Amino acid sequence: MRLEIKKLGRVTVVRSLESRMDAKVAVDFKMEISRIVEDDNRWIVFDVKDIVFIDSSGLGAIVSSLKMLGDEGDLVIAGAGETVLSLFKLTRMDRVFQMFPTEKEAVESLAG
Amino acid sequence: MIAGKIKLIIDSDLSHVFLVGFSVNRICLEIPLSEVEAYQVEVCVVEAVNNTIKHAYGNEKGHEVEVLIDLDTERITFQICDTGVAMKAGKKPSLEFDPDDRENFPEGGMGLFIMHEVMDEVSYSSSRGRNVLALTRHLVRNSSEG
Repeated sequence: MRLEIKKLGRVTVVRSLESRMDAKVAVDFKMEISRIVEDDNRWIVFDVKDIVFIDSSGLGAIVSSLKMLGDEGDLVIAGAGETVLSLFKLTRMDRVFQMFPTEKEAVESLAG
Repeated sequence: MIAGKIKLIIDSDLSHVFLVGFSVNRICLEIPLSEVEAYQVEVCVVEAVNNTIKHAYGNEKGHEVEVLIDLDTERITFQICDTGVAMKAGKKPSLEFDPDDRENFPEGGMGLFIMHEVMDEVSYSSSRGRNVLALTRHLVRNSSEG
């Protein structure tokens, strides 16, 4: 899965360069987040503003990534459009993830 | 109001599923359903196709997944058909979890739940080696259907 990764202080911003996050790319995403967490980066913003389609495989990969952090750290979502947001609400995952309209606001929330 | 039928056939390869998704979304937008409704219906059909590839065909390429789309003035129906392993019958799925219990957040098993939430009718049948999951969305919805 094509991702852009950058570090802003203690926060790692992961931006999807793919417009679809589905079963085909879900495993790649988990592996990439696993590498990020292994490097002791525990405050992650996942910027989904360019994602127009996500299914339960993609959502499951994001949940799995959050669980990798255990009790230390957080993974928050930035830039979810109306359609993607509707899936989070349908599955009640909007109660699990903090959702921010912009990357800037998400980074500020995790900056500490 | 548009109406008609179309059959889509893809190989049992997850990298081809997007073709079905694009088609379903475009048809839904033409009905017209709203952007969010079209997306949610697309998700349902993609979930069904994914399940077929993973469970009916065991992630093995080289098998056909058929998606029949039937649109009339009152409903749009998708039949996702395969000749693989039949799905076991089960109760209508639920997705209950404690939002404060991170360790036990669900990572999978959400596909069927989503289908039941979004579509008005979900049914499954298996006969003579052919399995069919049928998903129907009513186009004229009463207040209880949201």
